[in-house]
Amino acid sequence: MTLRWHYFLVPSLVVTLLLLLTSQYVFLKGSFYQDLGLGLIGDELTPDNYVKFFTDPFYLRSLWLTIKVSLLATAGTLLLGYPVAYVIARSRPRLAMFMMAAIVISSFMSIIIKVFGLMIIFSSTGWINQTLLGLGLIDRPYTVIGNLSGVVVGLIHFCLGFAVLLLYSVIQTIPRSLEEAAQIHGASRASVLWRVVFPLSLPGVIVGALTLFNLNMGAFTSAALLGGGRIFTLPVLIQQTVILDVKYSMAGTIAAILLASVILINLMSIFVLRRMRATKWVIT
Amino acid sequence: MGHHVSGPDRPSAARLPRRLLPYRVTRWIAASLLHGWVLFAYVLLLAPLIVLAGASFDGAENYAFVNFPPENPTFEWYFEIPRRYYESIGVSIALAGTTAVLSVVFGVPAAFGLVRAVLPGRPLLSAIFRSPLQIPSVVIGISFLHLYYAMGIAMGVNPAGSFAGLAIGHFFHSMPYVTGTTVAVLQRFNTALEEAAISLGASRWRTLRRITLPVIMPGVYTGALYSFMVSFGDIPISIFLTTPQFTTFPVEIFLDMDQGLEPPMLAASTLVIVFSLGVMLLVQKVVGLEQILRSAGARK
Amino acid sequence: MSHLQTKTLRTFAAAALIAIVIPPAAAGELDGQTLRVGTWGGSWQGIQRKRIATKLEAMGAKVEFVKGNPSANLAKLIAARGGQAPFDVFEIIDATLPSVLKGNFLRPLDLSLIPNSKYINKDRVREKVIATWNTQEGICYLPGKFKELGIAAPKTYADLANPKLEGRVMIPDYVSGGGLAMLSGFALSQGGRLDNIKPGLNLVKRIKGVQFWKKGAQALTGMKSGDIYASVIHGGWCVRAAKAGLNVATRYARIDNNTVGVVKQGWIGIVKGTKVAKAANIWINNFISTDFQVAFAKAKGAMPENREAAPQLTDDALLNRLMILDPDKMDRMLRVDFSKVDTSAWREQWNRAVAK
Repeated sequence: MTLRWHYFLVPSLVVTLLLLLTSQYVFLKGSFYQDLGLGLIGDELTPDNYVKFFTDPFYLRSLWLTIKVSLLATAGTLLLGYPVAYVIARSRPRLAMFMMAAIVISSFMSIIIKVFGLMIIFSSTGWINQTLLGLGLIDRPYTVIGNLSGVVVGLIHFCLGFAVLLLYSVIQTIPRSLEEAAQIHGASRASVLWRVVFPLSLPGVIVGALTLFNLNMGAFTSAALLGGGRIFTLPVLIQQTVILDVKYSMAGTIAAILLASVILINLMSIFVLRRMRATKWVIT
Repeated sequence: MGHHVSGPDRPSAARLPRRLLPYRVTRWIAASLLHGWVLFAYVLLLAPLIVLAGASFDGAENYAFVNFPPENPTFEWYFEIPRRYYESIGVSIALAGTTAVLSVVFGVPAAFGLVRAVLPGRPLLSAIFRSPLQIPSVVIGISFLHLYYAMGIAMGVNPAGSFAGLAIGHFFHSMPYVTGTTVAVLQRFNTALEEAAISLGASRWRTLRRITLPVIMPGVYTGALYSFMVSFGDIPISIFLTTPQFTTFPVEIFLDMDQGLEPPMLAASTLVIVFSLGVMLLVQKVVGLEQILRSAGARK
Repeated sequence: MSHLQTKTLRTFAAAALIAIVIPPAAAGELDGQTLRVGTWGGSWQGIQRKRIATKLEAMGAKVEFVKGNPSANLAKLIAARGGQAPFDVFEIIDATLPSVLKGNFLRPLDLSLIPNSKYINKDRVREKVIATWNTQEGICYLPGKFKELGIAAPKTYADLANPKLEGRVMIPDYVSGGGLAMLSGFALSQGGRLDNIKPGLNLVKRIKGVQFWKKGAQALTGMKSGDIYASVIHGGWCVRAAKAGLNVATRYARIDNNTVGVVKQGWIGIVKGTKVAKAANIWINNFISTDFQVAFAKAKGAMPENREAAPQLTDDALLNRLMILDPDKMDRMLRVDFSKVDTSAWREQWNRAVAK
């Protein structure tokens, strides 16, 4: 008796396809209707919502703001996460275990808790202001909440743990012997990192960066709470449109545009990566 | 000639970079910078959790002035946690558990199918199973809201605001984690174990049950853990599918926080931190963290 | 008298005595009825429980509270459409009133059971709702700090845009409890209209380094820490600031020639289909009774609509100094008719004005 492995697949495939196709179809279609208020949706198809989005500088600025914030957060996360992943990958097993445990623990804490902690740290009596005031660098508490920088820091917290895990698995595949060889040839530690390890990890880093970027584009807790009601990224607008305005269609429109932007940017990056591979800028 | 040796295994003196400081010193500086930067990253990452937990003990009389380190340490806020926080924590735990179970029930067979079935279009199938990861969670949230609304019109029952509705949305979002880790562990599985069992007379089913599954269980547990944690901490999906009377803990705190920080929230959140640590310890006992380390890249 | 006559007389006397001593049947008239009241929680609810619920309980009724702000309670009514409503009487604020009336959720009041309505301004006794309290939105500031800066005390909202006050002014965020009143006041005092709030938004933008509060306590903290010199907030908070030891003063902004100050109006109404209409009407009557209105004002800073109650507050030094207690002056404060306001459009314009 043999087990037909494809039978195993079928129920899961059906369920996934069903949920995927119905939810995306209904929501995309729903974005083409009119909101009648109090959560009701009209029944004729109209592109009004999309027209409203693309002709309103506020929405366009929000789209750009969302992309900008996600790019900054992704860059910051990579800057912080790459060295951490490298050190873990090159440490003794026990130390690596400890370091990884800390990362995993923090990445399993809900973002709301981390943002809560950040709000306390950023508050006018919080740690950052107390330090800056104590050092005499500022004479009045500086409000981090309500500024772009606060939101970027929140997003970094959101995806740093995941980034380290990703980057770790990439760096782990680079054999240490390569680094040792380079050192024998006289390269400094910095040189080894920059000219041997990093280029070899680059494809994985780029794929990882894309994943992080996607995560950040869809995140809204940081922007909503650390933005002080003044940073309007697309996810924040979506949430406000649903909860405060009860306009499901318009919210669907904004979400559709967000999804499309994410897909487009992903495709463009993959395309660029292919060209880089083709012209041997990147060694796979 | 003196100290320089030219030749194929040593660069000629002319190509060695000039050094300001001895090699050992620069190496030490580089190492310190690297480790310092890493330490900074850890402080950054763990600070909010520590500050939050510490501030929950602060006996601030003016609750907008939350202090860390706590000025008059007290447990009083822990006794003032409103009942609805406990209720929402309960909902979150039940929901996360259901999501993990559903994800395993559907994700593990999918992984088997992906790794072992001989099918054309396997990359496509793999992409389909991974697709929920590509959709921003806020989009998942609103698309299910729309789906439920349409179901309400077409079939008269709108699952939004119900436990089932939440569970389905969360399941959709987290099944790929279980599929991913299970695929990874299956790919590393040594089929010789199965062949040995079969050659000794065990049926396929028996082999699956008593050889294969126990060996891959750590990978499944890891995926289930990811599922649980992602569902527990989720806001973007839950916020659209809950009502003020029936919410998960993160959504409850999020909506309350919009109105200002209050110490009972701190206490409740610290309890959740402790709970999460407890879950992690449990996983460490059952599975071991190395498993998580190894499956780290499996989410791609 | 014969033995039988004495006995009859005694029985008769006893019955008469019982009839006189034991309170009349009216006392148990609400027997077995449970009145559910939808209102905010905390001490707001607490004082109603202490002073009104006890009265109805003495009449034999049971009182339960359903906690929530007016829009949350409205959402509960909408969700319960067709079924049983979750409460019988509930508090409504001006901004939510149009939606409640449009949704046809209320039944007419029985004014014969609400004799205290004669103390309320006629304009605010309506078919289905009656005004219960108002919070007076104005500017709470620290005169000492203004003197230090060498600027005159603020007379209207525009005075807050003084460059010397950079970073020292806190106003309500649009989504906070004081947001709508603030925006109306800003707009109308700057020559705008309810359908054109741009002048108000421009004023917000002109206040350099302006900070937003979502909860009143945040403004209080700001002033206590010395960070904030002036906040746009309702008078009750200024009273709390004074009680906390701050040297504060209030100024109710001049809106136009006839209007000084802005009011957030509280209303109350009875839900359609309720089975305890009588108890509900009696509840309302007690809410607007002079005694309760005085106690409520002293405890929560919500000013009475009962014209007899307001003058009785003048013996409280803080209320006298920081609030408007003259009923005529109270009538001249700005009350926005939110049926003429598109709050969704307001929010969109607000977002665009404050977005960074």
